This record gives sequence, structure tokens and C-alpha cells, in this order.
Amino acid sequence: MTAPDVIVIGGGHNGLTCAAYLARAGRRVLVLEKRERVGGAAVSEQVFPGFTFSVFSYVVSLLRPEIIRELDLPGHGLHILPLESTLTPLPDGDFLAQWGDHDQNRRELARHSLRDAEAYDEFGRLMYHMAKAVRPVLSMVPPDPLSLDPRELRRLLRLGTHFRSLGSDTFHALFKLMTMSAADYLDEWFETEALKATKSASGIIGTFLGPRSPGTAYVLLHHYMGEIDGVFRAWGFARGGTGSVSEAIASAARRFGAVVRVNAPVERVLIRDNRAAGVVLENGDEISAHVVVSGADPHRTFLHFAGEKNLPDDFVADIRRYRFRGSSGKVNLALDALPDFTCMPGNGPHLRGAVSISPSIDYLERAYDDAKYGEFSRRPYMDIVIPSMIDPGMAPPGNHVMSIFVQYAPYALNGGWTDAKREAFGDAVIDTLSEYAPNLKNIILHRQVITPADIERIAGLTEGNIFHGELSLQQLFFLRPSHAWSNYRSPIRGLWQCGSGTHPGGGIMGASGRLAAMELLRAGE
Amino acid sequence: MSATAIVIGAGINGLVTAHYLARAGRSVCVLEANPERDAAWPDAGAIDPRVLRDLGLDTRVLSVAAMEPWITVPLPDGGRLQLHHDIAQTAAAIRHIAPRDAERWPAFCQRMHDLADVLLGLATAPPPDFMTRQPRALMRLARVAWDTRRRGRQTTLDLLRILPMSIAELLDDWFENDTLKAVIGAAGVTHLHQGPRAGGTALVMLHQHMGCPAGVFRPPVSRLRRALAGAAPGRFDIRYDATAVRILLRDGRAAGVVLEDGEEIEAPIVACSLDTRTTLLRLVGPDALGPDAIQAALAIRSRGVTALLSLRLADTPDFHTLFVGRDLDYLERAYDDAKYGRVSQQPWIEARVDPMVDPMDGHAHVHVHAQYAPHTPAAAAWSDSMREALGRRVVELLQDSVPDMPAVLDMSVRVPPDLGRAFGWPRGQPHHAEPALDQWLFMRPLPGYGYGTPVPNLYLCGPASHPGLYPLGAAGANAAATILGRAD
Repeated sequence: MTAPDVIVIGGGHNGLTCAAYLARAGRRVLVLEKRERVGGAAVSEQVFPGFTFSVFSYVVSLLRPEIIRELDLPGHGLHILPLESTLTPLPDGDFLAQWGDHDQNRRELARHSLRDAEAYDEFGRLMYHMAKAVRPVLSMVPPDPLSLDPRELRRLLRLGTHFRSLGSDTFHALFKLMTMSAADYLDEWFETEALKATKSASGIIGTFLGPRSPGTAYVLLHHYMGEIDGVFRAWGFARGGTGSVSEAIASAARRFGAVVRVNAPVERVLIRDNRAAGVVLENGDEISAHVVVSGADPHRTFLHFAGEKNLPDDFVADIRRYRFRGSSGKVNLALDALPDFTCMPGNGPHLRGAVSISPSIDYLERAYDDAKYGEFSRRPYMDIVIPSMIDPGMAPPGNHVMSIFVQYAPYALNGGWTDAKREAFGDAVIDTLSEYAPNLKNIILHRQVITPADIERIAGLTEGNIFHGELSLQQLFFLRPSHAWSNYRSPIRGLWQCGSGTHPGGGIMGASGRLAAMELLRAGE
Repeated sequence: MSATAIVIGAGINGLVTAHYLARAGRSVCVLEANPERDAAWPDAGAIDPRVLRDLGLDTRVLSVAAMEPWITVPLPDGGRLQLHHDIAQTAAAIRHIAPRDAERWPAFCQRMHDLADVLLGLATAPPPDFMTRQPRALMRLARVAWDTRRRGRQTTLDLLRILPMSIAELLDDWFENDTLKAVIGAAGVTHLHQGPRAGGTALVMLHQHMGCPAGVFRPPVSRLRRALAGAAPGRFDIRYDATAVRILLRDGRAAGVVLEDGEEIEAPIVACSLDTRTTLLRLVGPDALGPDAIQAALAIRSRGVTALLSLRLADTPDFHTLFVGRDLDYLERAYDDAKYGRVSQQPWIEARVDPMVDPMDGHAHVHVHAQYAPHTPAAAAWSDSMREALGRRVVELLQDSVPDMPAVLDMSVRVPPDLGRAFGWPRGQPHHAEPALDQWLFMRPLPGYGYGTPVPNLYLCGPASHPGLYPLGAAGANAAATILGRAD
């Protein structure tokens, strides 16, 4: 390849998305990935012979439909399979199920509370309206509210006009949603504990907060975004695991002419005259380029790759203050049979959906209490899927893979993470789940336990935070990752950001990568 | 009998509203359910500067007292930390235990004071209405944005960043010392059903800090209510033992008040300082309200979490205000109990020697704020034995923290249901509506109504309205401004 115009650091889904859009616009793009495969935290790996796992992230919910369309991801092998139900087993042997089928769902809710069954549709309608109101914000470069630049003021005014056009009721409801705790917000609607807990669990994922802390409600919207987009239902699997999302984007990028190099860990960004000039690899190779875009998180990008000495002090202070606090882990199991849930024995449609261990808000709060004081949850919140039920290729015939997302597992564990602590954490997960599926221990062939420390070590996410920094209110929009640098640029000219640590961040969404590419092209870099 | 305006409730905000309406020439009648009496407790909180400027209160009655040092904290390895009004003096005190924190203290005080000052500007006017279509209100919205921006990038940015934060995060950004963080951290959870790690608690600290001098994170005390009542004669009438049971409606508009004994008092304007649920659901009644307003009133969060104790000591103790709470985890664990409906086993407490009671008999009167004591414990409703147990626990904590703690001669313990009955605090919550981002500005107490209600001519003027409890009297003054602005 001739010298690239743009180097993208990190072959995660955002880095690849950014690369694909830049290549599509005619830029010569080189993607450098440190591992032997692309994907970052969206990778599929055969961890045990015959068993393929989405090692880190495990569901696809928010991948922007415009990216799927514009990059023709289905043409590059992306196939999303719906994940329609959620089963919440309860300690007393009962359960709460949320089904994709409207009538079935209503009947099930009514079994717990007639009032909740009544409220559910209205709740859904309101959330749908609000999701629609927020959606444009996901596809916009954050304006700078402090700038007096006419362009920024115009953008700000347009944003204000957008929210004012919603009408008082929707605006006030949205204001509440953005600022309340998930528990309080859901208390206004529902009385069934398991329903409130299962819904509120989405608000705590990737943050170091409990469901009763203000600022945890707005993530509820995410579940309704997917529905509007109409591409697939709220949640889904990628056939072949989440790695196939990355592979599809990488394939699209290559089709547009980008070069993707694996086993190419970057050591630092080359900076000359306060301008990015390329990168230096860990093996000492120098590669020059006018523009460097980092898909890594802000901490790695600026404090590691760029270097503090090349950055203004107050910016460094901002990046140091930006919070990661990884709070979740993952347990991947290879099984020789299906788990048998006491509340719903045998095989059935419930195993094709998610199983959520979230019987009550208090249960989630207690899980959080352990983490607050530096321990992993003895009885954690778990979000479980069995991808082999929908995509049999993930496991040998008759066998299964189970993916367990676990919260809370604090990065800053008392005494630090050790091999023994990792196994104790895995044991706590298996023990807790066995209370609901007693055959579990007998069907496990292999297990892989991943702590926040492992996520940091393997995928390079600082403190193991799956979103490149907490999705708390003070780290969103024009404050992500730092004010004035939320427009994908950085204090170093020619060094750009495109990772999940920029707006809107979070999940396998790709929006950050796409927006960064658009902004870069607009700026004529 | 008739008046041109009735104010229900002779608390601080009700009286402030009455003063302003009377000043504008209205004939005002204030109805107070309780007999005329002096509160045992001084009023804690900085006073709205407009109230001090406009209402000509007798400063001798008002007797504002600022504690010096404003707080004393026992240190874990013996000794004490005392924080003073003088920032340099406090920094010197902190230097003994945490030199780096001492360096940062002056900058922290200045930053927090700047932010509180922006909030004070917002607090001392009706909240800007984001959804308005009126040119005048739009101008005001633009002015608020401009005024905030004018204070500089750093302040504006801090404000946006800090408001949703937890007080623990904010303090972790600044300080290392656990004792210091606990003292400031407690200001973020005072009267709040949250621990210091919950989002929005930084806002609560700033809310309480409004109107206080830089570097002082505890409000002064005064006899504001007494001064307001004392200034009433000649301006308006206060009728004590007059319990309003219903708001008279005529053609769907408020037209007066019905008292418990059946007496009707007519007035074209009714301002109520009681809590919003009582006002709307009890005094107006659900029949006159739409479902949305009922829903909004029911959704207001007000959860009392504080026990207030009054102790008579045999001798004056060697502190003015004593804080007991080792570190932020101590506060958080105290909250953990409340989260599951229990009284904190290890509550954090703040004991304050009443500066206004002359110790004629050589005894000292000490008021203690103990948190958390939930309004409705999960296991059993509050009983005298539970009150006594809490009282014993508090005395133990004091004795552990004060080497020569004078003997406790007698003590009264009031828990949230008692405080609710005594002061009309809904579920024992003095803010009426908990201070939180979703119950802030135009969201408070009914989203979008400001000081009005769904019932024309009925206004809300208590602490449930913007800006809340602090600064004292601001809600009443803003309500009066709204009433006069609309009526004129």
C-alpha cells in the first residue's frame, strides 16, 4: 500500500466503521489492530474446540440502521437473528416472562398485576415517542453550548427548537426520564417487582450505580430505539456471534479499499509541531499519515498513545477525571445439554430469548452494595443468552454455548483481581444461577470467566468499562469525553477520536465511528 | 369575612408571600392550623436576600447566628478537625491531616461558591419556562442562558458537569482525606433518601450552600419565622388555630377557604404553603382535577429520613456544631439501612448547641440531626421503644466522640411521622419535594405549572415550589411575584 492518508488505531467496530466511511469517500485508510483478529470487544472466538463465543459483548441492539444500509452489511455477511423474549425466574419458583407476542405478553403480565398489564402498552407508547424525540440526537455531532461561534449557536438553537417542538407533556416526561433513577421512574408505572427490576437492569449496565440512583432511567429508551428503526426487534444476535458484525464492517471497509492489518499494536502517535504525523508500532515501525483516528478509549488515546506532555494541562485533567469504573464481567459456558430452569422446565421458546436474574430492585441494590465496598456481587445480576439455540453453528451438535453477562464485578476489587478471585467470582455466578437451574453444574464442559481486569488486558478497554467510560449524564453528549472535544477532534491537530468514548457511545452501535468519519470529511481533513 | 388574598400556613414561605402581597396593597389573611407558639428549633438556612432587603424585619428578633468554627469533627486517631469561616484558617487546620487537600481548599471553596451563586440567581426568581411561547418569557430564558454564560466558561462547564454528579465523585476529584470528604459529603445527602454515591447529590450540596459564605458548608440559623410573624401586625392578619379543610371553588376557580368549624372566608386569590398533595388532593379534591394533575401530584417524591433530637445537657459541651461520620462509606452504609427500610445502625449525626437559648440554669440545649431514620420502617411502624433506642444510639455516638460529654438530663426524639405532624412536612420531608434534578426548576412541584395549579387563582407558595427549602423564603417571594405579576 502506498502511504495512507488516514491511520485508524484499533479494529473495533467503531474503528472499522470509521475506516469504511473514510475509504468510501476515497481516502486511503489503514486500520491497525493489536490482536490477531478484528473486532475489539465485538469478537467471536472459538475458546474451546467446537464452541464459539461472543467473548465480550453478546447482543446487537442499537447498530445504526443507516450503517447497515450505507455499508450494505447484509451483503458482507451480517445476519441478525431476533431475540424476542426475556424470562425472569423468581426465587419462589414462579417467573415473569416478557414475550414478543403482544397478547401473550399481556396475559403473562396480567397474571402478576392487572394494573401493570394495563399500563404496559401506554408505557410503551410514551417510550416510543421519547425514543423518537431523542433519536436525532444520536446522529448528530454534539454542539458546543459555550461557543459563541454562529455555527454552533445555530446548531444549539436548532436543538432547542427540536425539543420545544415536542410539546410540554413529552418534554417534561423526557426531562424526568433523563434525570430520574430507573427504580423511581418505573415505580410511577408498575408494581410488579420482577418487571421493574428486569427493566431497570438495563439502566445500570456499564455504570457503577444502583437502580435507585438518579441518572439510571434514560437507558430504558434504548430498548425502544431498535423498534423504531424497524430493522430488527429491540435485541438480536448476529449469526456467528458479535464478531461477525465486526467482520462484516471490515469486509465493507476492504471493499472500499481500506487496508486492515492485525497483529499491529500501536505504541504511540507520532506528533510533530503539535500535529499528528503518523504512528509508531510496538515493533518500532513508523507509519506516516496526515490524520490519525483513534478508536481506543479516551484514556488510552490521550494518556497512552498521544502522551500527556503533548496535551494542555486542563485537557489532561479532564481525561483523568473521566470515569471508567468497569463494573461488569462475563462468564462463558460450554454445555453438553440445555439448562433446566425450575420455573419453566425443559426446552422451550424461553431458551431462545434472554434469561434475566433480576427478581427485585432490592436484589439489584444488594448486588451493588457488595461492589460499592470493593467486592464482586455474591448474588449478581445476570443477563443470560444461549446463542446456540438460535445459531446451532456456535456449538457441536447437541451441545450449547451460554453467555452470562454479570454485574457487579468492580475493576477496583479489594486486594486486586487474582486467578483465585476470578474463579471465586465464576463460582458465585454458577452457584447463583444453579438456584434457578439446578442441573447447571452437571452440564458444564468448560467455563471461561472474564473480569474487568481481563477485559482491560485483552480488549484494551481501560478499567474494563465496556462503554469506553460510564454512560452517566455528566459524560454524555457534549461532555463525552471532554467539553470542547466532543466533536471527534482533539487538542492535537490531525488526531481524531472515533471510539465509544465519544458521543453517543455505548453498545455495538457504530454511531461514533460513523459520525467521526462524517465530521472528518466535512472538515476536509 | 373576606380578604383580597388568603395564605394558608404561617410558615416561613407563607408569611413571606403574605408580606409581599400586603406590601402591594392586598388585604391578606393568613390561616395557621397551629396555636401561636415559638418553634423549639431555630430556622436553619441562608435567607433570601430579597426578604432581608424588602421586608424590614427586626434584626434583633431575626438574630442570625453563624457558628464559628462552623463544624468540629473528631478524627479517627484522636484529635479534632475544626473548620472555620476564614478560608486560610481552615486550610491551616486541614494541613495537619492532609497537606494536599489544604492546598486545594481555597480553590474548592471559590468554585463551589461561584456555582452556588449561579444557582442563587436562578433560585431568586420564578423558574425559566423552557416551553414558553411568550416573547417576555423567551427573553428571560435567553437572559438566564446569557447570565450563566457570562460567568465564564469554567463556571458554566462546572455547572453542567457537576449537577448530575454524586457528591462522592465530586469530592474524590478534589480531596483525599476521608474526614473532610465526609463533612462536605453529608451536605449532599442532608434530608435526602440517597447515599453520597447517588447521582444528583452534588446538586443538593450546592442547593444548601446557596447564600452561605465561601468555605462554609453548613447554613446559618436564625429566628426568621418569628421575625416574619412579629412584623405582621399592621400589615396583615394571622389567624392561629384556623385549620383550612377545603378550598372554595366557584366556576372552577379558587374563591376562598372553608375552615374546620365551617366558617367560609372568601378571597379572589388563595396561596397555599402546605405540601402539594395535601393542597390538591385534600383541600381541592380529586374531583376538580384532571387525571394528569392527580398523577403528577402523586408522583412527587417526598421521603423523610431524618430524626431530630433535642437534648438538655448538664453543662455546656466543648463544641458548637459537632459532626459524627467517619468517611463517605460510613454515610453510604447508614443509607444502606434506610434503603431496605431500616433505621441506620450507625447513623451520621450533627449536634448543634442552640445559640439562642440563654443557659440561665447552666444547662445547654443541643439539637441533633440524625440520619437515616426512614418515615416508614419496613419491619414495624415507629414506636416509643424505637424512638428511645435511636436516642440511646445517638447519645452513645456523642459520648464516643466527645471525651467530656456532659450528662444528658432529658431528651426528646422526633422521627419523620412526628415531624410531619408537627411541621406539616409530608412524610417528614422538610423540602416537601425532595431536591433532585427531576424535581428542579420548572419541574417543581408540578411540571410546567410554576407557582400555579390546574385550579385558576390557586397558587402554591411552600417549599415544594421552586427553588425549594433554600434559600429561606425564596419560594414564598417567587410565588408572590407570580401572583402580583398575573393579577396586575
